[in-house]
Amino acid sequence: MGHELIKARLNLYAVMKNLEDLVQFDPEMAALSKTWNVSIQFSVLFGPKAFIEFQNGRCRVEKGKLSKPTIRLFFISPAHLNWMMDGKGFPIPLKGFTKIPFLNGDFQKLTKKLEYYLKPTDDLLKDEKYVELNTRFTLNTAAHAIPEIGNLDRIGKHAVSHIQTGDILMKILPDGPAVTLRVRNGIITPLPEETDRPMACLYMKNIRVANDFLNAKLDAFTAIASGDVMIKGQTPMLDSMGLILDRIPVYLG
Amino acid sequence: MKSYQYSKSQELFKRAAKVIPCGIYGHFSPAPLVPATSYPFYTARSAGARFWDVDGNEFIDYMCAYGPMILGYNHPNVDQAAANQIKLSNCTTGAPSVMVELAEFMVDLIPAADWVFFAKNGADVTNYSTMIARDATGRKKIVMIKGAYHGASSWMQAPGHHGTIEEDAENIIRVPWNDVSAFEKAIENNPDDIAGFIATPYHVPAFADNELPDEGYWKKIESLCRKNGIVLIVDDIRHGFRLNMGGSCKYFGFTPDLICFCKALANGYPISALMGSQALKDVTARVFYTGSYWFQAEPMAAALETLKELKRMDGPKTILSIGKKLLDGLVDMAKGYGYDLKVTGAPSMPYLRITNDESLMLHQDWCAECTRRGAYFTSHHNWFLSTAHTDEDIQQTFTIADDAFQSIKKQYGNRF
Repeated sequence: MGHELIKARLNLYAVMKNLEDLVQFDPEMAALSKTWNVSIQFSVLFGPKAFIEFQNGRCRVEKGKLSKPTIRLFFISPAHLNWMMDGKGFPIPLKGFTKIPFLNGDFQKLTKKLEYYLKPTDDLLKDEKYVELNTRFTLNTAAHAIPEIGNLDRIGKHAVSHIQTGDILMKILPDGPAVTLRVRNGIITPLPEETDRPMACLYMKNIRVANDFLNAKLDAFTAIASGDVMIKGQTPMLDSMGLILDRIPVYLG
Repeated sequence: MKSYQYSKSQELFKRAAKVIPCGIYGHFSPAPLVPATSYPFYTARSAGARFWDVDGNEFIDYMCAYGPMILGYNHPNVDQAAANQIKLSNCTTGAPSVMVELAEFMVDLIPAADWVFFAKNGADVTNYSTMIARDATGRKKIVMIKGAYHGASSWMQAPGHHGTIEEDAENIIRVPWNDVSAFEKAIENNPDDIAGFIATPYHVPAFADNELPDEGYWKKIESLCRKNGIVLIVDDIRHGFRLNMGGSCKYFGFTPDLICFCKALANGYPISALMGSQALKDVTARVFYTGSYWFQAEPMAAALETLKELKRMDGPKTILSIGKKLLDGLVDMAKGYGYDLKVTGAPSMPYLRITNDESLMLHQDWCAECTRRGAYFTSHHNWFLSTAHTDEDIQQTFTIADDAFQSIKKQYGNRF
């Protein structure tokens, strides 16, 4: 599968997914979106489809199509979607022309805030609250990117073929956040909660360690030896998952 | 029973991580040890079947330096032979005379081989074996077993690993262990293009049960190799001299074209050896291969003494018997706690796994608890035993293992 197509899927299914947590955990964005009752359909020709739905102060980002979205945005190719995500292009609106001011206004504030959280600088990382959200979003992006890369990228597919059936838990100690990657017959599905029967676990000692680890600022071998990162269970599952994680920057770096 | 602490190991590791990539790399990396913080990282001294870490903790060693130690650490005869050689010469201009003596001894010892070529590490000779196979056949492809380990060179690593490129695996065909028909299929799909078949005497994957060859497996593989002009290479690096002094091929009753030895060959002194059949001697002579320290005399003297000592006492038989005693005791003890401790592979280098928990966490905790009490057990890799493990070591190990079983029973209750 082509680079642009995998990147488009990561943008829609992994990066945009963070909007759900953004309106939940960022007070400013929660206030901004609490009255929104709008849905946006993203459709890429020969590419992924996903929708974002705002209702009752909550946001839902899912794969697939809504039957009656408020706004329908069309992209002529995966590359077209990626240009938009990189701030270099614009979608083609097919429905909801009256909502264009919303897209260019409040919705853009939301996406800009997400971008702010996903592009850390050394200065921003001095702020504990920022670190907390950047870590949460990075973990979430990884959890949703892994199935895409594992199922579509050539090296990712090879790595997945070695992962046995079972749940992989990634958790930041002491109280989360945590994500579960459920592997069933070579297919990986991310779950937002902590599994109670993990086959393999990767625990990060605290939010700072997790931030460094997830942003590839911490060598995994050193972190494990020093106890900052703890692994348990069928660790070959984690080795294979690590190879997939290392592919994320190839598309989103 | 007191549990060990590792503050000095951790302090040293912090210093190491600043100047050495990942602190301790390769197969000595603490990363596969679960949890890593339950294990010592640095050795201060060793003797017999034991070593002491930098925190002063004493361990009965069931990894034997991942295989090299077979007669016990600081074995007096081996160390004396090495010291004597050092006094005479070590690295000089010109090959050492002890090289010829060692080669003659090894050719006499290993019935399947007519010559020997010395190097330093296991991968030196597994790599060289594939070069010889390719030169002898004029073919490109090497068949290996899925999940097998023949060193860390790029062709030996699974695709996707850092530092490798897809083309590294272009001429590698992986087939499942004990699957003769998969090898037949590989031959059928790659007519006149397979240079060699490389495998360990029995399958020793990490994190998984070890698998002995099925009845007739090796004879069928040998026959297919002969029929199709494929060089049969046995990687005896891990198994060598822990099954049979004549090589593991003798133990399993087949005749390879090339045999790779390392690990136990010199009881800790750095040397490896590729041995082969008369038919490949002249081919080997024309395949250029060498290394700066491959003519070092000290390890050759140590290897000669190690092999003499092992032959004198029938080392493999001794170690198999010691291993059986240890494993029978541990399995029985586990039963008493309601645990099924499964042992696979040979008793001289067994892989253990408590099967009650398929995630391995229970087993990992038991191995970690044993280690923290002084019996160095790993949960991911086969263990190694030596002729130096005494009845006293085994009895002490039983005491430690029992205490560790109590600890995990307390932790997990009747969950498993």
